[in-house]
Amino acid sequence: MIIIDHLTKRYGAQTALDQLNLKVDKGEIYCLLGANGAGKTTTINLLLGFIEPTSGSAFINQLNVRENPKNTKRYLAYIPENLMLYPSLTAVENLDYFSGIAGKTFSISDLKGFLEEAGLQSQAFNKRISTFSKGMRQKVGIAIALAKDAKVLLLDEPTSGLDPKASNEFGLLLQKLRAKGVATLMATHDLFRAKEVATHIGIMKDGQLKQQFKADDISLPELETAYLKTMDYKELKV
Amino acid sequence: MLSYNFKYELKLLLRSRWIQLLSIILLLLFGFAALNGTKKVEKRNMDIVAAKDEVKEDDGMMLKLLDSVERGLEVSASPWTIPTSPMAVGNYHPRVAAMEPQPMAFIATGQADLFTHYVKPKVSGDDFALNFTEMTSPVQLLFGSFDLAFVIIYLLPLLIIAFSYNVLSSEKESGSLRLLAAQPIGIQNWVLQKLGLRFFWLSVLVAVVLIVVFLALGINPFAQSVTFFGLLGLTLAYMLFWFALAFLVNLWVGSSAKNAVALLGLWVVFVLLVPSVLNQLGNTLYPMPSRTLMINEMRGLKAEVTKKADEILDNYLRDHPEYAINDTTQTRGFYHRYMASQKLIKEELAPVVNAYEEQLQKQQNWIGRFKWISPAIIVQESLNHMAGTSTKDYESYRKQVAAFAHTWREHFMPFLYNNREFSQKDYPDLPSFNYEKGTQLQLGTIPLLFLIAVGLFGLGFLISKSVKGQGILNQG
Repeated sequence: MIIIDHLTKRYGAQTALDQLNLKVDKGEIYCLLGANGAGKTTTINLLLGFIEPTSGSAFINQLNVRENPKNTKRYLAYIPENLMLYPSLTAVENLDYFSGIAGKTFSISDLKGFLEEAGLQSQAFNKRISTFSKGMRQKVGIAIALAKDAKVLLLDEPTSGLDPKASNEFGLLLQKLRAKGVATLMATHDLFRAKEVATHIGIMKDGQLKQQFKADDISLPELETAYLKTMDYKELKV
Repeated sequence: MLSYNFKYELKLLLRSRWIQLLSIILLLLFGFAALNGTKKVEKRNMDIVAAKDEVKEDDGMMLKLLDSVERGLEVSASPWTIPTSPMAVGNYHPRVAAMEPQPMAFIATGQADLFTHYVKPKVSGDDFALNFTEMTSPVQLLFGSFDLAFVIIYLLPLLIIAFSYNVLSSEKESGSLRLLAAQPIGIQNWVLQKLGLRFFWLSVLVAVVLIVVFLALGINPFAQSVTFFGLLGLTLAYMLFWFALAFLVNLWVGSSAKNAVALLGLWVVFVLLVPSVLNQLGNTLYPMPSRTLMINEMRGLKAEVTKKADEILDNYLRDHPEYAINDTTQTRGFYHRYMASQKLIKEELAPVVNAYEEQLQKQQNWIGRFKWISPAIIVQESLNHMAGTSTKDYESYRKQVAAFAHTWREHFMPFLYNNREFSQKDYPDLPSFNYEKGTQLQLGTIPLLFLIAVGLFGLGFLISKSVKGQGILNQG
């Protein structure tokens, strides 16, 4: 579903992403871990076609992103760290608008069904987004992905700033989507959540993918050690 | 995408109270401007009616005097004002040559606060050098009149700027653009649709407000349908130009603050700077001849011809033998010499007067050649034409008055040189003035303005393609 082939992005002399190779298949959740500036968000921006690569290619559902920027977006959904919807529209209206401009038309009951599936409480369906918490907005984002019938989900720090309960709920939603066969690429700092939800984990540093694991093959302490080692972390002596 | 944008753009505008706010502002601005324009036209009409009433009253007195004289009664009036003398009629009972306001005069004051709207040419007047300039407050001239043209040309673009400067940047700043850009849509098309819809709703508001304001002032817009729809078409075309600029700036510039500054800068350039620079350049390149010079030359000539009055009169009668033959008395007085010399003065001053007209024409040609640089000039000119208050209208009026003054004078020449008295039966034959509008409604500027706007939209797409590599999300 997602194939990244020698993808490189340079800004002048600075290399933001260096020869990245990565594959996320149907029903897989790939978590990219790394410090700020590691190249996680650049990878997502390249997959979304927001920026153009210096070299290499990225494919969504077997379509080259650079050659088919509009078509690839038909198959993907994206949830950024702060999902900003239209505050003066309700959850149903936001969902209707974003589905509509993506070319999908639904009845009100269908739209409510997607919101329900995304875990939003029914009392909130017709409330304006301006009254929503971040967790509720993320749920509307998941509902947009569901309504779009996305094959690929790109998440950029989606659990940052969520309380543990909301973060856990979000993890469960991702598992739901995984069961539907959605390929998910998630950039995060949250090692615990990555271990909880991912099928595959990669650690990035300086635009390079330094290590990759199958989530089942590594424990949380081992993942933490591998991460800190990759980051050249020197333990402070007290 | 269009149907969803259409549905939700209106919802967003209504919920943010933009539509309500715009409706009130437009209603107030258009209402006050139209009322202001109407008051000025009413004042103009009242002045003309008062002048005509005065002439009517004078005529009544003149006919009574003539009746008394013709019945051999003694009249108590100065001998030179008794209307049996054709020169007394020509000088003391002139007709009103009025430029009646056109039905849509209230939409644009144009040159109306610079020129007079009625004159009373006399037989002994210097009609070729008639002064049409009216005393006006310099403060008013500085700021212009608060009429519909002012609202459309100066204020409507500011409302459009406030309504459109951040269509893209606000999405970027709020963070919703990333979600939008992740949808299978072209951001340029999305911006175009958003601006298109705002243009549509603003157009609806402007049309409704104009109809409401016209009806409230007791003017049926559909009775003047061609002019009304011309006005509406012109306004919409001008609005489209500003929306096209907003489209360019939204795609090109970046942050909301930069967009606002860029659009306000363009407003200053197109609305204030270009018209003022063109006007100044026109005055510098084609300066108008000095009016003082003309008056001095006229005085010098008059002094000169007075010395040779008898010779001039002889020459005049040689050119007009019909006057010498038909009068057996051959009595020649002051007016015989004066009127003969007037013709000579007119001929001698013709080069100065022609130079004035030529320079005026050159100035107008200059503006006409470069007016396309600023749509504000095109719209102002077109609105003035619709209102009948353009420079061309006043120039046409001036020429019509000059022609009438000639007719008026020539009407009395047979009386004067044949030493024939004016009587009651000659009264119905007195010439009268009927103003004919000098210009026709010009609607050709509307498609041209639309073309300019479409060109700007095209340029916007070209620019957005060139910045695509940098990523529209990273600008600003």
